[in-house]
Formats: sequence, structure tokens, C-alpha cells
Amino acid sequence: MKSARAMLFGRRWLLIILALAFAWTVTRLGTNIVNLSETADPWSTTSRFFTAAFSPSFTDENTTLPVGATPFLERVGHDLLRTFRYALIAMSMAIPIGLIFGLLASELALPTNRLRPLFNIFRWSIRMLLSLVRAIHELIWALLFLAAVGDSPITACLALGLPAAAILGKVYSELIDEQNRSAQQIIRSSGGSGAQSFLGGILPAALPDMVSYTLYRFECSLRASAVLGFIGIETIGLGISRSFENLYYGEVWTQLYILIALVVLVEAIGNLIRKRLRDGRPRTSQPDQITETQLRKTRPKNSLVRSLGLAGFVAIIAAWNLGDVLLKPAVFESQRSDRLSRFFAHLTPDPVAPKNPVPTWDERTAAWEAGSDQLLPWVTDLWNDPGKEALANTIAMSLAAIILAGSAAIILIPWGARTLASTKPLGLTMHGGKIRTLIGAAVRSLFILTRAVPEYLYAFLLIGILGPSAWPLVLALALHNLGILGRLWGEVIENSPPSEPRQILTLGGSRFQTFLGALLPMSLNRFLLFFFYRWESCVREATVLGMLGVSSLGYYISLRQAFLQYDQILFFALLGAAAVIAGDILSDVLRKKLRS
Amino acid sequence: MSLITVKDATLRYGVTPALSGVSLSLNPGEKVALIGPSGSGKTTLLRLLGLQEKPTSGNVATLGCDLAGNCATSIRETRSKIGMLPQDLGLVANLRVIQNIILGRSGTRNFLRTCRDLLFPSKTDRDEIFATLERLDIAEKIYDRTDSLSGGQRQRVALARTLFQHAEILLADEPLSAVDPARGRDVLKLLTALCDDAGLTLIVSLHQVELAREFFPRIIGLKEGQIAFDGTPTDDEISDLYSS
Repeated sequence: MKSARAMLFGRRWLLIILALAFAWTVTRLGTNIVNLSETADPWSTTSRFFTAAFSPSFTDENTTLPVGATPFLERVGHDLLRTFRYALIAMSMAIPIGLIFGLLASELALPTNRLRPLFNIFRWSIRMLLSLVRAIHELIWALLFLAAVGDSPITACLALGLPAAAILGKVYSELIDEQNRSAQQIIRSSGGSGAQSFLGGILPAALPDMVSYTLYRFECSLRASAVLGFIGIETIGLGISRSFENLYYGEVWTQLYILIALVVLVEAIGNLIRKRLRDGRPRTSQPDQITETQLRKTRPKNSLVRSLGLAGFVAIIAAWNLGDVLLKPAVFESQRSDRLSRFFAHLTPDPVAPKNPVPTWDERTAAWEAGSDQLLPWVTDLWNDPGKEALANTIAMSLAAIILAGSAAIILIPWGARTLASTKPLGLTMHGGKIRTLIGAAVRSLFILTRAVPEYLYAFLLIGILGPSAWPLVLALALHNLGILGRLWGEVIENSPPSEPRQILTLGGSRFQTFLGALLPMSLNRFLLFFFYRWESCVREATVLGMLGVSSLGYYISLRQAFLQYDQILFFALLGAAAVIAGDILSDVLRKKLRS
Repeated sequence: MSLITVKDATLRYGVTPALSGVSLSLNPGEKVALIGPSGSGKTTLLRLLGLQEKPTSGNVATLGCDLAGNCATSIRETRSKIGMLPQDLGLVANLRVIQNIILGRSGTRNFLRTCRDLLFPSKTDRDEIFATLERLDIAEKIYDRTDSLSGGQRQRVALARTLFQHAEILLADEPLSAVDPARGRDVLKLLTALCDDAGLTLIVSLHQVELAREFFPRIIGLKEGQIAFDGTPTDDEISDLYSS
């Protein structure tokens, strides 16, 4: 057992690497944080925008609206309902698909006979497929589905549902494999089938974690659904972007507050359900006689979880059946298939793409034969210009963001963690507790608020204020991830065994010394796990943030979209996905190293 | 006809043998204790007897069925008559007691019935499980979550599961490891009494030689994967078993 100090000291290479990495991102992204035209006064916009935070609008700021136009709050209500509806439908599709793929990707489902290696290959290909699908951002899926299906509500639902299903599939498979197999083996050894032993021995044990992760994913889908508004889908993001572009800052803040309230509410419900599922309910009444019927009548019930589950079910049914038709009817029957085949023609790499926009099969094969030798040069050209640069910028942005978020979180954690920010830190009575309790609540609220707003929305607002450069995007990523790291790291600190760190307090040390001397070195490995996990999602997000007009992969995706060059969009999307998957593998390797 | 026949069974994990050349036979209603130092192969032998694993060579037939494919009925049906009580009990912590017990009968029920059992158990099952738990003195816990019970209570739940299973054989792996040493005698008393009542054949692996001698007419000693003695051991045989 190394001393805490030696452990931290032994990690100095980590600080050096992170400092060097940050220096690289600065040389890459430049030092221009504000990029506005000479005549613009950044301070007046900034102060106007932030002053408006204190006077949100409840009516239209536009005074020239025609009579009979839908009033502002009603419009926001509709947008909010649609945001919620798309996320709900997406999750209702993602859960069953995630379950099936989760099972297929799990080790548990592998047969124990001679066919095992074969099934293992199948399992790994499923895992690869899940990685690829989840590596592509909801916004890119939305662009693709918009072109393939048109702007029906189902487009938004599919774009949100597909990556959600892939992430759920991965997480479910991990949760299934993490469970203790003992109960499952007992059912097998008493003659139960594989399906029965899964149902009785694995699923109930995995269910609380699965439910709580699914609720977190719903929260993410809700944020992503809001972000889809920025490419014209009618969710609350569209309202926010319109209000902002018209300089109706009061309206922006109203909608922001409503979105934050919704996300925070969903998170609070999720926390409540998580706690109830973990702890169960205590028996509240003892029956007069110990009979089966009496005990059954008075058995402890998780009525809150049950009623919320029922409410969720009813909401899903409503989401599918109420509101605008999910798939808008086509005027002509052939329209839909034409659109789809045109989309696939656009998606085919240019050298092998058929010239006819609605090609026949023969035309496709002819085009392939004619241009297949041009395919490799096409790819290398795209890679050399602008692929390479765009990818490097994307990675630099994500790296700068996660380092900023991590640094801010590490400073705030000792103030925010419940076990330290209390009158009795780690169970020891200390003076000056009241103010610490207040500061702690403030820091945790800051974490909740920063993570409630999606990265893309921050980026949109910050670019609006600071002008188009990489740093507003970095800042946006950092803000959202600060909230998430704050929560994840805070939980690590709160769950660490208190006996060792308490020693420092009993010797007269301060809370901060306890954090630096014991809690931080004890938790460093798990801190790093979460740090890398968030970095991976930063890469994914940085890919699309460029769509706001800053040279990263997303920038070229939005440029090519104007010219319907879906083949190039696909190239850039896959390039981003490759980076995410590489990050995924890297963080997996590091995680295994850190665990051992 | 004997209930269990083991002929020259050897089981290797890789190259190291966990059991080598074990032969024994058991009659219905017998009560047997397996003793021996840690790593001597007690758990492995129980797994072989429970048809959970196939021997690398030799043969293990329980209730006229072996994993090589010679079965009077089917492996699943045979397994449904073998009750296992593993060291960690194999209970799902966040299920209710009744749900854990009702899963004991999965071997004779289909998938849909198991779904129903978990959500809406039938009145007959409920009554039977309640009666079983009454015999084990924990009837009032029938609808409580399993992780709210003490270690000893959980062991009774696992025991109730094998009783509800209507097994013919009970294989218990170190049932005393999780209970207070002072309660060890009570647990064995309960276990043997229940097996006598239900006519179960009982095979228990134990560390406590004195208790084994008190409760079990037949004791099998295992050392380094081989049978050292089988029957009523002398004091010398016991000290040989534990010497290195």
C-alpha cells in the first residue's frame, strides 16, 4: 500500500501530459477567443443578452405579428410537447431494440458448446455495429433521415432512436454480463431453460441499473431532441434559434428556463426512481395475524415506481397516437421510393455514382464498373483536403474542452461533494459547517444547471455572442461536461470509504487538505475513467459543433449538405465515427490498465 | 438400484486435475458428509453429482442420467429433481422471498409460467411456499425483499427453494460457512430433519469434522482430488486427511 502522497506524486506524468496536450490544442486552435467584425461591440451584445436573463418574456417581443398568430407561450408549449414527444417515441423504439442487441452482444448468450467461437465472432460484429451507430451523432442521423424520408416527425424520432438504441444495447449487454451468475446457474441446475434462467436469475438483478440508465438516456434524448431544432425540426431548439437571431433575448431566456426546468425535473424523477429501486420499500404495517393473505395484503409496495412506470407507458402510447401524423402522406405513391433511391444515389461516392438521379440496378453496376478505380483517389483527396485538418481540429477542440472541464471540476469538487460540504464532514463535527453547506448546495446546483443545457445550444449562443471561432465551441463543450464530471466525480468522493480521509480531519487538517491528501489520490483512477469516458463523448459532440460554422468535421458536413453531396457527408461522418471508436478503444484499454 | 453412481471420474481444468479417479455409489435416503481441506475437490465433486459439469474421463450418473447423453428421461427433467444449495446461496437480492423460492420449480414449468410465477403467483403455490416457510420459522418474511434478511434467514430461503422444488437429492456446499459458528449444529439439525421428513438424499460438504461425525453416518474424505476414505473414519484417518 503506497502512501497517498506517493500515489499522487507518482502521477505527475499525468499532469505533464495533460499540460502538453492543452498546449497543443492552443497552437492548433489559435488564441482568438472573440472573433467579431471591427465595428461590433462584443460587450454591448453580451451585456444585453445577460441582462435579459433577469427579464424573460412571457409575450411576443415582436410587435408586428399579424392578428391571430399563435401567441409566444402557446408556441413554446407546442415546441416543448414536440420535443418531449420525439424523445419519448425514440426511447420506446430504442428500448426493445437495445434489449435484443444487448442480449446478442452479451457473453451470457454465448453457447457453451463447440459453436462458441463462431457465435463469439457474431457477438463482436454486433458490438462493432453498435459502436458505429452510436459514434454518429443524432444531428448527422437527422440530416441523413431528412434526405431519405423527408421532414416528417418520424425523421426526428429515428435520428434520436437509432443512436439511443445502440448505446442502450452496449450498456445493457455490459450490465447483463456484470451480474452474479449464481442465481442463474441455480435455475439451470434445477432444470430451467436458458431463457428461464435469464428471466429469473439475471434480469431482476440487472433491472434497477438498466432502468436508471434508460432514464438517463431519456434525459439525453430530450436534450438531443431540443438540439434537432437547430436544423429546422420543430422542437424547442428551433424556437430558441429564431428568437436569438431576431435578437429577442427575453424570449431566448424564457425558453432556456423552460427547457432547463424540464430536464432537471426528468433528472430528479430519475434519481428518485433509482433510489427507490435500489433500497426497496420497508414494511410499513405488521398484520394482526401471520397468514399468507394478511402478509400479502400488507406487503411493501413500490407504488411510486409503479405509478411512474404506468405514467411513462401511457405517455408513450399518447406520443405515438396523438399530435401530427408521424409520416406525412406523400402526394404520389412513387414519390417516397424516388426520394429514397435519389438519396442512395447521392450517398454513393461520386466516382461510382450513376448519373441518372433515379437509377436502375443496371445503371448502378455500370457506374461502379466505370469508376471503381477512381474510388481510392477520391478518398485520399478528401482525406488530404480537408479531412485531415478537420479531424485534427475536432480532436483538439474536444481535448481542450475536456481538460478545461476537468480542471474546473477538480477545483469545485471539494466544495461540492456532500460528504465534505457539511457540518459533519465524513461524520466528524467541525466548525464553520453552515456556510460550507450553503456553498456545497450552490456548487451542486451549478453542476445541475450546466449539464441541463445541451452542448450545441451553448455553442449556438456563445458563437452568437463571441463570433465564429473554435473557442466558443470548446467553452460550450466544457460547460456541459463540467456539470457531468461534477456529478460523476462527486459521487465517487461520496462513495469512497471515509475512515482513511477522516484521519486527516482528526489530526486537525482542513476539509481541503483531506481532499488533496486522501480523497483525491484514493479516487484518482475512477476520476480518470470518467474523464476518458467524457472525452470520448466530447469527440462525438465536437464533430457536429462545427456545423455552427467553425472549421471542424461538422463544418464540412453542413457545407456539403447544401450541395446534396451526401457521399462526402458520409465520409466526414465516418471519419468522426472512426475518431470516436478509436477513443472508445483507447479509453477501454486505459480503463483496464487503471483497474488492474 | 443406487441413486448416484460415480465410476473412475476425473475432471481436469487445463492440465491440473481437480478430481482424479473418484468412484462411489449412493443409495436413496442416505446422508453423506464430504470433508477435506480447501481445494481438495469437494465443490467440484458436488458439481459433478449435480450434473453441472461433465467429467473429463469416467462416468457420473445421477438418477439414471449422465451428461454423455444416456438419460432415461431428459437432462432437464433429471435436474429438476436435484436441489443445489451453493455456498453463496444463489438468491437474487432484490427479489422478494416468494419470488426466489418459486423459481425453484423452473425445471418443470415453461417460460410463460415462470413469467406468471414472478408477477402473479398462484394461490396454491403461495400456500405451499407459506407452509414451507412456516416449517423454517420465517413465514412472516414471505413478501419481504431478500436483501433485507439476515444471513441465516437467507439460507433458509435457499433451503425453502429446494424443498419447493420437490427435489429427491439435496447437494449442499458448505452450508455452515455463512452462519454463526454457534448456530452450525442447529443448521445441520434442521437440514437432516427436513431431509428425513421429505425422504431426500443429502450430500453436504463441511469443514467441521466433529459435526460431520455427529450428524452423518457416512463420511467421505477427499484429499487432492482423490477419495481418502469412505464410511466411518478413525481419528488417524482424519488427521492424515488434514496433514500436508
